[in-house]
Amino acid sequence: MKIDVKHIADLSRIALTQKELDKFTPQMETILQSASELKNVDTDNMAPMKKHRPFSDLRDDIPTPSLTQEEVLKNAKHTEKGYVKVYGKIFGDIEES
Amino acid sequence: MEYDIIVGLEIHVQTKTESKMFCSCPTGYFQKDPNTHVCPVCLGLPGALPVPNRRAIELCILMGLATNCKINQNIYFDRKHYFYPDLPKGYQISQYKDPICSNGKVTLPSGVEIEIERIHQEEDVAKSTHHKEVSTNKDYSLIDYNKSGIPLIEIVTKPCIRSAKDAKDFATQIRQICRYLNISDADMEKGQMRCEPNISIQEKGKWKYEDGKILPVGDYKLNNKVEVKNIGSITAVEKSIEYEVKRLTEEITNGKEIIQQTRGWNADKGITEFQRSKETADDYRYMPEPDIPVIEVSKKDIERISNELVELPHEKITRYTKDYDISTYAAEVISSTKENASYFESLLAELKPSLDEKTAAKEAANWLMGTVYSIGKDVDIKDLALLIKKFRDGIITKGVAEELLKNCLENNKDISDELEKFESSSKENSEKLEDIVKDIIAKNPKAVADYKGGKESTIGYLVGQVMQSTKGSANPNEAKNILVKLLK
Repeated sequence: MKIDVKHIADLSRIALTQKELDKFTPQMETILQSASELKNVDTDNMAPMKKHRPFSDLRDDIPTPSLTQEEVLKNAKHTEKGYVKVYGKIFGDIEES
Repeated sequence: MEYDIIVGLEIHVQTKTESKMFCSCPTGYFQKDPNTHVCPVCLGLPGALPVPNRRAIELCILMGLATNCKINQNIYFDRKHYFYPDLPKGYQISQYKDPICSNGKVTLPSGVEIEIERIHQEEDVAKSTHHKEVSTNKDYSLIDYNKSGIPLIEIVTKPCIRSAKDAKDFATQIRQICRYLNISDADMEKGQMRCEPNISIQEKGKWKYEDGKILPVGDYKLNNKVEVKNIGSITAVEKSIEYEVKRLTEEITNGKEIIQQTRGWNADKGITEFQRSKETADDYRYMPEPDIPVIEVSKKDIERISNELVELPHEKITRYTKDYDISTYAAEVISSTKENASYFESLLAELKPSLDEKTAAKEAANWLMGTVYSIGKDVDIKDLALLIKKFRDGIITKGVAEELLKNCLENNKDISDELEKFESSSKENSEKLEDIVKDIIAKNPKAVADYKGGKESTIGYLVGQVMQSTKGSANPNEAKNILVKLLK
């Protein structure tokens, strides 16, 4: 099973070296290989196991208090004036935060 | 070479709920401190579970009903993956294969029909602003997650729009529907409504439109489409498409190949600017959202939601022009907002007992578009109806009515009192009118001679003199009659 790890990494804005690609590609292919075992199961006459709920079960549109700004920002690596600050260029590489 | 314009519109609308789409955070984030309407769900913290907001889905269904869509009775959510700081989960909960609403259509005032491919429910992302750090020269973004998770519906048309004007009219109509049905305030400046046209141009005769798709004829290769973002007003929908069509035509004429791309509208410069080449649908790695069950909507649910439908602007325009004989222009202006239309209809109801329906409608339209809009303040409907009746009875002129209205509004006076005063003084004037007319005749020998010499239009000048001398309180028709009688 072939997988384009570089493409997947690009989509996640992760820069991988050729060495890393050479290492991860066979590993991920093995994972996919194992998962694809599921394809051998005959599901032709099986109904999807997704749970169904009636419309009335959904949440009522009533707001409740949110976290405080301090709590929200607690895990952010960088902050500025109440905002989460992220280094990187738009549509380009964005530093993991 | 001649080209046809092919446009499809994607319109995002933030729907008007109290709480967010998948959590109970309050929605009213406008001008609030950043990151104060946020919880573990809309921050995408591990283990947080989304629970859909019923009202949000009702509003999505309502939009579908208003645009003649088929409503899906099983609602599925999907994950759309992309990596960007405005999306803390790494995916947006959206709908891919089975949108709530599909295959709708709306008819524009011009009669053009626009087909709607789908309307689906999703969640908004955070707001990010982009900056450069002076000390380090590094690019950075500031993120406010208050907007993250606000209910968002996406309305997607088929590529059936053939002009910039139709795209603008369609966006206008969607905005009206949103406001009429209280689905959204749809203020584009506040980002409550966002329009993204997909634009391409194709050689005339070399393409066909089939089953909602643009297909090449023969061995013609279709030109790629361009998506335009960052459109901040309805006008910009039209302008950006016009600009892009011109740009694409030049590129193709110069032998350049168009790459599929996203461009941003720069309103200050009136141009579009390259942003990025577009990621294809496959790159989003859609998958069913495992945290949300399939939601079953019954026929009864849909029926209940459809009770919220009201007569929509295009329906009003048809009824006004057909039943009341008023012009399409007037009907469009009056139905442009729900408030205007309801004012018009209440005024009409006030006038109807004393006037026949068509006359009442014409007067209501004229007075609404002339007097009420020019005064620009709330004019009481009963007061206005009273003035219109007096006008119809020949007791006051339109000018006098407007004066009275302004006077009453500015000085907080009662219109019936003022009318009474005016009528009694104009009755006195009427008795004096013949004397005044005689006086005017004596003072204007040249005009009188012109009139008697056959220049009948001079009568208007003389009437004007009478009006001036009575400070507008005389009835001009009466003045004219007396003049004609005395000048025989």
